[in-house]
Amino acid sequence: MTTRLNRRGFLATTSVAATSLAFLGPKGLRAQEGGVLRFALSTYPPSFDAWASSGTAAGTIKLMMHRGLVGYGPDGLMRGELAESWEVAEDGTWTFKLRDATWHDGSPVTAEDIAWNVTEAQKPDSAAYLQGQLASITSIETPDAKTVIMKTTEPQATLPGWFAHYNMPMIKKGEPRDTMIGSGPFKMEKNDRGVSLTLTAYDGYYKEGLPKLARVEAIVYADENLRVAALEAGDVDLIEYVPWQAMSQIEGNGELKLDTVDGPFMYLTFNGSKPPFDNPLVRRAVAHAIKREDIVAAAFYDRGGALEHLPIAEKSEFFNPEYANGWNYDPDKAKALLAEAGYPDGFDCTMLSTAQYGMHQSTAEVCQAYLSMIGINVTLDLPEWSTRVKKGNEGQYDLAIMGTTAANNDPDGLSNQVDGSLPNSFVRSFQLPTPEITDLFAKGRAIFDTEERKAIYKELERVAIETAPMVGLAWRSQGYAMKAGVEGFTNMPGQLTFYSGITLEDTMLG
Amino acid sequence: MLRYIALRSFVALFLVWVVVTIVFLLLHLIPGDPAELLLSQGSIAADPQAVAALREKMGLNDPLWQQYLSHMAGVLSGDLGASFRDGAPVIDQIALRLPRTFEVIIGAALIATGLGVPLGTWAAIRADGKADAVISFFASAALSTPVFVVGSVVILIFAQELRWLPAGGFVAFSEDPVEHLKLLLLPAGTVGLNLLAVITRMSRASVLEVLQRDYVRTARAKGLPRGEILRRHVVRNALIPVVTVLGLEMGTLIGGTVLVEFVFNWPGLSGYLVSAVDARDYPEVVGIVMTISILFVFLNLVVDVVNALLDPRISLVTT
Repeated sequence: MTTRLNRRGFLATTSVAATSLAFLGPKGLRAQEGGVLRFALSTYPPSFDAWASSGTAAGTIKLMMHRGLVGYGPDGLMRGELAESWEVAEDGTWTFKLRDATWHDGSPVTAEDIAWNVTEAQKPDSAAYLQGQLASITSIETPDAKTVIMKTTEPQATLPGWFAHYNMPMIKKGEPRDTMIGSGPFKMEKNDRGVSLTLTAYDGYYKEGLPKLARVEAIVYADENLRVAALEAGDVDLIEYVPWQAMSQIEGNGELKLDTVDGPFMYLTFNGSKPPFDNPLVRRAVAHAIKREDIVAAAFYDRGGALEHLPIAEKSEFFNPEYANGWNYDPDKAKALLAEAGYPDGFDCTMLSTAQYGMHQSTAEVCQAYLSMIGINVTLDLPEWSTRVKKGNEGQYDLAIMGTTAANNDPDGLSNQVDGSLPNSFVRSFQLPTPEITDLFAKGRAIFDTEERKAIYKELERVAIETAPMVGLAWRSQGYAMKAGVEGFTNMPGQLTFYSGITLEDTMLG
Repeated sequence: MLRYIALRSFVALFLVWVVVTIVFLLLHLIPGDPAELLLSQGSIAADPQAVAALREKMGLNDPLWQQYLSHMAGVLSGDLGASFRDGAPVIDQIALRLPRTFEVIIGAALIATGLGVPLGTWAAIRADGKADAVISFFASAALSTPVFVVGSVVILIFAQELRWLPAGGFVAFSEDPVEHLKLLLLPAGTVGLNLLAVITRMSRASVLEVLQRDYVRTARAKGLPRGEILRRHVVRNALIPVVTVLGLEMGTLIGGTVLVEFVFNWPGLSGYLVSAVDARDYPEVVGIVMTISILFVFLNLVVDVVNALLDPRISLVTT
């Protein structure tokens, strides 16, 4: 057969091309496949290490594959997962009773598996996110295949919270830490590094009738605008990290719905190793100098709220209304405090933030403007994120902007941001001892009575408002958006927003 | 000719070594600790003890010269090391990602040359006419519009409004060839638009210049048909600088499709490089930069050889 380009050949080729173009039809017109949810992630999990902190996207995938001893329900309340029930004895000994559950390879989840997880993750070099906390577990016993008994150096009221964290799921004894064999509702079917992950329903999951979806395709869309475009174009069903500027556009779209909570927060940290911010009066002056509403407007398109106290949500039982405006905007008071501290004319300093994330930069710019009004001349240092982390860890700044969530909704979860006895880290002030607060956190952990704990954390917040070891700036709205037909997926309340992946077991497509 | 290629290859290898060494040293000079970053994911306070343990495991506590020597020894034996993040072999990841970037670049080059050379030639023949004005205007406009603007606009039009194509993403050709090509269209077209402008302008200038040459006048004088003069004497000679520019542009694009890969979520080599730099994943960064420099140097070599083939005088002069 000879190939010659002539008129007839040309017509034949072009008509084939035209026919193939017909396949480029709109995606939305295709019939919806049964129970496959396409989920746009903001980033590909850097690792699948079950016990390490590898970011929130990894957390979402872990909450699909794995389960911990306990967990949180869509209402934010703790509930049993692998453990059917748990109780604490008067001496602080915790006993967990396991339910009948199986690993993805079909073998049963035993008490021995659980004990192995704890002993491995508590090793000093484990690099487990909760290594420090788990190290206080002095003995772990397994009298039978369904019972786990844990003893700690001192009574630990917050212990179940450790085992509810998505960075402390249980894996099968002897498996590598990044194992794909879990006990969760979905099994990893395949993963294309940096691109996508496919998870299929595990038919042996211990909750009857769950998961409702047959498969979840998690696809990475790093660009937030493309994530929104993909949802609007119908390429995906659910997206995480909805950019604030797109929220009202999604709310206005009848085919989509938006689910937001105020969970993560922005705050200021200080370098306590040198003047002027080693002085609590100066820190308080800063706390009273900034009008929070302007941060919420500039950085979050009014999606969030002012935060003039410790980041304890209004809905929390530990919220203290009397301190709700403890660091209210009051420039006169700020100036007076500054004068009292010996700086009536202000001073020059550098503020560390990052240009890599718009919200960090905008927050820094608003703070800079307000601080200049009380005479503090701020020079912004805006390196990319990796450098910012390094400088924060090494204390190369005077004051710095940070944004994060607490570990959970319990006020003990704030110790990471507030407790100055913990090692140097960019997430908290640098070398700023908080002896009273450290003691109060320890007390709060050792007491089981909720009313007594409330009193302790109220006292803690009072001390924090007085000494300002960190200064709250703004709550920011954290959003998921989805097609109107997606049912059962819940953005979990407050600090638990990044645990929302657990509700994928209840999710279905209408 | 062979001696010429051998000599050029030797120089190329030296250049690659220089690039790799500089990148290796620069990476260790800039602030940011891979172990610390890996353990601080999600803005979490990393435990200093865990960071120290991880640094030891990554070999970051060895003296720099020792790290450099062991890395170079690995490179010479074809081992680019493993990712700090999840231990994936760097060479496998590059092998996976590079073809995807090539697809975009080659797609763009096809669009650019397929349209650019005829358009540029047409503009040159009709120099200062209406067609020339229109073509030159659009070429300038395309050249001065940043790719992320073009990218966002085409997503808005073709994905969100018309819904003809997906907004972005990637599906392997082996899994779904049609979907794969649909996904390739927008990124390749976006890169292609910019390249098209370059090629059009280059072709126009080059053809204009050749049209003034004596041999073209001679060909006209001896009564050759217009089409034949254009084909045999004008375009062929005018292509030499166009090929040079195309080669250089394609070389630049291997590491320069970052924005397009980001906007369209196309998991190519550029995006891989950016994420590796963000995480201070040293083995990945060095491996990717080395690959890009080898390709860039190699492309230059190919351009020279192609030019020599297009114009036999070039190789005579240089050998």
